[in-house]
Amino acid sequence: MKSCLIVDDSRVVRKVAGRIIRDLQFEIVEAGDGKDALEACRAKMPDAILLDWNMPVMNGIDFLRALRREQGGTEPVVVFCSTENDAEHIGEAMRSGANEFIMKPFDADIIQSKFAEVGLV
Amino acid sequence: MEEAVFQEVADLALQGSGQLIPHSRAYLVEARLAPILRREGFSEVGELMACLKARPNSKLQSETLAALTSKQTSFFRDKEMLERIAGHLLPMLAESAGEEPLRIWCAGGAAGHEAYSLAIMLEESEDLRDHPVEILSTDISEKSTNAARAGKFNHFDVQKGLSIHRLLRHFSRLETGEWQVSQTLAKRVAVRTHNLLHDASGLGEFDIILCRNVISGMAQSARAKVLLNLARQLNDGGVLVLGQGESATGMVDGLEPSREMRGAFTRKVARNDLSTAAA
Repeated sequence: MKSCLIVDDSRVVRKVAGRIIRDLQFEIVEAGDGKDALEACRAKMPDAILLDWNMPVMNGIDFLRALRREQGGTEPVVVFCSTENDAEHIGEAMRSGANEFIMKPFDADIIQSKFAEVGLV
Repeated sequence: MEEAVFQEVADLALQGSGQLIPHSRAYLVEARLAPILRREGFSEVGELMACLKARPNSKLQSETLAALTSKQTSFFRDKEMLERIAGHLLPMLAESAGEEPLRIWCAGGAAGHEAYSLAIMLEESEDLRDHPVEILSTDISEKSTNAARAGKFNHFDVQKGLSIHRLLRHFSRLETGEWQVSQTLAKRVAVRTHNLLHDASGLGEFDIILCRNVISGMAQSARAKVLLNLARQLNDGGVLVLGQGESATGMVDGLEPSREMRGAFTRKVARNDLSTAAA
């Protein structure tokens, strides 16, 4: 079974996204900020990461840049997921190594469509 | 909603747009007509129907018919089929067309998702980008065609079927949070309001007609009529593409499966010799 790390400081968002992505046949791991997420990746690199932008301790962009420098860190498919959804922010996320971008709010169809775009489902 | 009122709505839909509304979908009628009821100040569907009976063929009647049809669609719906069109069918047609423009008709194209998806594929294809291709999107609903013409799509629309790369390349974000198709895409797509039960000769002839997930909601006799109208607008060698699970087999004499594309149909006789099989 593929695994997906969900990184968001909102417990509600993690639960909602987790439910949707579990239905797409992923094993779910959660992290509340970029630092926790980096530790989770060092323990076991996931196949996919759903990544929030604004979080305490370490934000999504800093996490993503750090991840891509880690050993095996280019492997996970990273889907950014943020309310920062103007073209400049999206562009910055993509240049920092994201594979796809979901604009919040999302629903199950959006997650499925975006995961399909990057070959996860 | 009372049974008699449901029957009136179902009859109106059948005659006006060929749409078959089974009893099991009566709930859809109320949901789809709710915006019109609200706007006109009617408290129930029966009042709207009484008004339509008093003034048949009014603008309100066409709006009611349009509201009853499904608007469900998305960008790159059935991607494989679109890729076969852009990767195989269009290059082949373009070669034989020479300098002549190719024409594509998205019949029942709702708010233009399919037309703009095709326009995106043309833009992204080195072989096709510079070949003149006209795309026409028509729908029975004026509301839908107005939306298609405006080329603005909401947050949810642009995240289904479109990759973020395509969104950034072909759309720009408005202050409202909506996304607007680029000028380049807009120039490729023309939009008209059209009822598929009506003669379509005014729209001209086409090399590819897409009519997907439209006839499956129609009564048998309406299907045959629509297919005949579509087949008459096919150029020699033109191809009609229906939705998955939709077929024209046995419906129109002279319209037969295409050799160029699986699940598609082509006209095998002169336009005037086409006829509905039942006739």
